[in-house]
Parts: sequence; structure tokens; C-alpha cells
Amino acid sequence: MLKPKQMSKVLLTGHKDVLEPTIETLHDLHALHIEEYAEDDYFHIGTPLPGAENDSKKLLKLRSIASFLGIKKPYPKPINARQLSSELEGKLETLGSVVSGKLGRKSQIEADLKDVQTGMHEVEAFSGIPVNFDLCGGYETLHVFAGTVKKGMDVRAGLKGITDEYQFFAGNTGVFILFVPVKHREQVTDLLAEYEFGEVKIPAIPGTPDDLISELKNRQDSLTKDLESLSSEIDSVKAEYEDFILASEELLSIETQKKETPLVFATSEHTFVIDGWIPADEFETMRSRVEEATSNRVYVMIVEEPVDEANVPIEYDNPKIVKPMEAVMNLYARPRYHEIDPTTFVFIAFPLFYGMILGDIGYGLILLGISLYGRSKLHGEGWNSLFTVLIYCNIVTLFFGILYAEFLGFPLAGLHGHPGLIPGWDTIPLFAGLGGEMVTYPIHRTHLVTTLLVVTLLIGVIHINVGLIAGFRNVLAKHGMKAAVLEKAAWIVLQVGIFLLLFGMMGFVPSMLPGAVIFVLAVIMLVAGEGGTAIIEIPSVLSNVLSYSRLLAVGLSSIGIASAVNIMSGMMFESGGLFIVVAALIFILGHALNTALSIIAPGLHALRLQYVEFFTKFYEGGGRIYNPFGYKRIYTED
Amino acid sequence: MTIDIAAASIEQLAANQTGLIAIGAGLAVGLAGLGSGLAEKDIGSAAVGAFTEKEELFGKGLIMTVIPETIVIFGFVIAIMMLL
Repeated sequence: MLKPKQMSKVLLTGHKDVLEPTIETLHDLHALHIEEYAEDDYFHIGTPLPGAENDSKKLLKLRSIASFLGIKKPYPKPINARQLSSELEGKLETLGSVVSGKLGRKSQIEADLKDVQTGMHEVEAFSGIPVNFDLCGGYETLHVFAGTVKKGMDVRAGLKGITDEYQFFAGNTGVFILFVPVKHREQVTDLLAEYEFGEVKIPAIPGTPDDLISELKNRQDSLTKDLESLSSEIDSVKAEYEDFILASEELLSIETQKKETPLVFATSEHTFVIDGWIPADEFETMRSRVEEATSNRVYVMIVEEPVDEANVPIEYDNPKIVKPMEAVMNLYARPRYHEIDPTTFVFIAFPLFYGMILGDIGYGLILLGISLYGRSKLHGEGWNSLFTVLIYCNIVTLFFGILYAEFLGFPLAGLHGHPGLIPGWDTIPLFAGLGGEMVTYPIHRTHLVTTLLVVTLLIGVIHINVGLIAGFRNVLAKHGMKAAVLEKAAWIVLQVGIFLLLFGMMGFVPSMLPGAVIFVLAVIMLVAGEGGTAIIEIPSVLSNVLSYSRLLAVGLSSIGIASAVNIMSGMMFESGGLFIVVAALIFILGHALNTALSIIAPGLHALRLQYVEFFTKFYEGGGRIYNPFGYKRIYTED
Repeated sequence: MTIDIAAASIEQLAANQTGLIAIGAGLAVGLAGLGSGLAEKDIGSAAVGAFTEKEELFGKGLIMTVIPETIVIFGFVIAIMMLL
């Protein structure tokens, strides 16, 4: 639980004839982390098994079909892999031809539609003009002007001064067509230029504008209809083949993965060597299964020679309930092989700190509901871990919420004559705390600041020392007792010294001398262990412990925001009338904002206490990810 | 008459003191917050730059970014102690 899984380095050696059954067995086992082979003079990397290229081609085709159809169904019922494999070829062929036909039609229709729309745009400018476009060009004695002039200008009035021989047609959009004899062309051009003439191109399509418009409209409608019916056809293809596509995509991925693995093996002319890591408890299973599948023609052995721990792939070894916390660990770094795996500590401390900071029944319930809903709706490992961690956190929040008796920033129990949210429930004094405060049930955080501050600092001292003890164990395993005492135990001794000094100052201990002696001793140990830089780090003991005061401080600021929202909406509510709506709005928006902050602020601060204050005492991290050869089937079953 | 003035001024003095304490507490939180912000802005932008290039650095970047956050917590604690 506190260490990563025990790993064994293994070698598998055999004749190339039995390469295929070996790969098959290893893939099924899904336990061997294969080390990639770097080529040298004698051994070369292997070549893919026959059929690999064909499979990847099919896979490529399938993926392009899947992206055209827009397939993304999350978790259907798995399909039998053997049956699928036998019918894959034929079905993929049919599917390919169906889809490529539809794809061609779709792009043709889309291109036509675009043409129609462009044509429509050109013709629409001339709507209402009763002239066939055919008659607008090709004359020797006539010149045609088509376009617009500045608003309010009367072209015909201007033409009167030049000639009476003209034809003028104006449409609904302000565009006109004007026919004049060629001999007047220059004069008319000058006139129009005065009117800020803008030419509009006459479309090269025969027909009058209005006829053309209605014709194009019909064509557009029929194309759109075609497109719609095509996309419903595509949908039906999608519905029919969706399961098949997902399942065969998976099947082919598995096949390609298997067939291409020889690329990471070492091979000679007749033999292959596979080098890898396997969890120690699975070694025997692997050996017997590989030997059985190849009738003892593959030699499986454990390599005993010492290896660099940085090369060992790391697999967590945690109980199921702690597993989601591994996501929090991965965010920082995986543990190294000989290190303590702190996931369990994080599993305890992270939700505890989160709950201590938030500690509100209302927010706890809202966030618990959100995370339960999210976990049921969003699949995938990352989401699942995230929501499970949030669920843990908010269960603890509810516990502290009951301890603090807070609901959305309102106190549930009355205090000093101020009634709480639950009538008749009054705070019970229990015993005297620090600084003249009284510890009560429920605990009112705002009235117990000094006591709680000291409590949070004590939690910090405990947490940091758990980290130092873990660090002691890590250094002991790596560098021996002397280093462990000088580097880690010395910090604990230093704290004892500081506490004795403090007690001496406060008079609990008759003299400050023992404290001072222990302090100096600890400093000497530290300098001997870590060198002179240790002296610079001594104040960090204080700042690390003080940092835990955020367990109180962040919580108080959250209460501050919540009660500000409550007071504002309360004042609005008392004004009555329309203000009641405003009050409700302020209440809802304010608490929605604070709920969002209630994930971020306590989450980040609780996380930071793990990463900065706790991990720095013992944790190195940086282990390699254990990535066993195999495939997690979703859409197919063997 | 003189006694009354003295009494009033003592009351006023006390009120002034509470006011000054409140200002001091505000300054403690506010200035500490500014300090945290100034420190975090540089670290934060560097951290974002780092983990866009290498995603595994997210955790480390987050830690580096929130280290100065302690300063404002200290300010807050001091403010509360002043107010008590």
C-alpha cells in the first residue's frame, strides 16, 4: 500500500517460429511492460508480422469513414471479436462503397448549391426589370449601361439634354439598364459619372430576371431537399454501422498493435529476445502461459542483475478506495521505485483539509450532488477520479459542516441571543479555549479564531512530521542510517528544541537552557548532514507550520463572502415588493459564485499543503509510467 | 465643562484607536495580497509557458505559483490578531 508494486525484470528468448503465439499470449496477459530495443551490431529490431500493413490500411479507411459519419457513441454493448473478425473484410468493403458514393453525392450537391447561390446573388440585383439578359449585349449601334447612381438622381431628366432616343428600365433594387445609341455614348458616360454611376455586371444567363429568380429558387429548394434526404440517409448508415465501426476500429487497433510489436524486440536471424518488466506476482502466470502456448520453446527468465531504479516502470499498489487519489499524485509526479508511495497519506489529508476549510452543510450538499451527477454522466478515467475525489472531499465537508453548524454561511445554532437558522437550537459552551475564548458546540469559527489558529498549526506540525518520518524511511533505504538521522531526524530534533524554547519562554518549563541546547545540537546535525545551506532553511520550519493557518483563514474568507451575500439579499428582501425578486437573484447568483469558489479555493489550498509543505519533506517522484503490452477492450469481447 | 470635554476626547480617542486598528488590519491584508500578487504574476506566467510545452510540469508549476500565496495568509492572520 505504501510502496509501488514490486517489479521483476524479465527476458523472453525463443525461436522466431513461436513469435506469434508468444505475442498473442503476452497481449492477452496485459501485464508485461516491454522495453524498446536499441539496435546494435548483432541483434536488429524485428519486422512486423505479415498482414500488418493491410490492417493499418483498413484501419485508416475505417477511421476516415468514422470521421465522415461523425461517430462518437460512448459505451455500446460489446461485440464478439471472433465473429466480427470473420465478417470484417466483407462488411468494410460494402460500407466503404456505400459511404464513398454518398460522400461523392454530398460534395456534388454542395458544389451545385453554391453555384446556384452565386447566380441568385447576381440576378437578384436586377429583379423587377422586364428585359431578357440575352437582349442586353451584342449590338453595333447601341450601347448598354447597367448599374446604379447616387440616390435621388433622375437619369431620365439628365438624358433629356442629350437625346430622346433611349430605353430606360429601372428595377426594384435601384439598378437600371439603359440603352443609348453608340454616338451618344461619351456624353451619357460623362452624365452618369456626375451621378456617381456604379456599374453592375449583367449576368450571362438568358431569361428575364424575375423568371430566373424563381427558377433559381426552385433549384435551390430541390438541392436543399436532396441534401436533407442525403444526410438522413447518412444518418441511417451511421445508425446501422455505428457498433460495427467502433468495434472493428478497436479490433484492428489490437491487430496492428500485435503485429507491429516486433519492431521493439531484438531479433537475430532465427531468434527473438523480449526485454521487459512485469509485476513480480504475475511472473509465474506469464511463464507458465507462454511456455504452454509455445510448447516450452520460449525461455522465460528473471534478470537478477542490479538495475537503476529510475528505469523501473511504476505501477501503484493501492486499495480500490484510495485509487482515485492517484490522479492527484500523477499531477505532481509518480513515485520512484524505492520511495514511499504517499497516495494513502493524501487520501486522508486532502479531503480532511478540504472539509476543514469549507465546512458548510449547504455547499457540501450542492457539491456532493454535482459530483455524484457528474460521475454518473461523464465517463473516462480522468473524470471518474476527479469526481470521486470531490465526493470524498464533500463527505468530509458535510461532517465539518455539522461540527460548525453552518448552512450557506448562516449559523444554524443561536449564539449570544442572536437566533440561528434552526429555532430553539442554542450553542452549548463546553470548555475554555485559548485567549479567553470558549469552545462550544457547534463551533463558531468566527468566534474561536485564536483557538482554531493554534489547532491548525498543531495539525501542521503533525502533518510535517509525518512527512519527515517518511523522509527518514526513504533516506534510510537509500543512503543508510547516518544520512537519515542527519538529514531528516535532525529537523524533528530542531522542532523539539523550538518547542522547549517556547515552553521555557511561557514558563511551562523552568529554564530555556534545555531547549537552547537541543536547538544548537539540531543545527549542528543539519549542517553536518546538508551543509551550510541548511541554516538558510531553518526559518522554513516556521513558515511551513504557519502556512497551515490557511485551514482557518481560507474558511473564514468563504464565510465572509457567504454572509455578505446573505446580508445583501436580506436587506433587499425586507424592502418588499419587487425587491424580493432582486433579493432572490442576489442570493442565487452570490451562492453560485461562492460554490464555484468553494471548489477552487479549498481544493487548491488543500492541494498545496500536500505538494509544498508535505511532499518536500520526503518525496522525489519522477517514476516511469507502467504501460503494459495489451489493450483495454471496450467495444469487443474475446 | 472641562471634565465633559476630557471625557468626550477620551471616547473619541478610543474610537480613533479602533479605527486605526481596522486600517492597520486592512493594510496588513491588502499589502500582503499585493505582495503575493506581484510574486505570483511572474511565476504564474512562466509556469503556464512551461506546462504548455511539457504537460507533466503542471503539478510542479502549480506549486511554484502558489508558494507566495503564504504571504497573504500571514497578512490575514496578523490582521485577525490585530482585530481581536
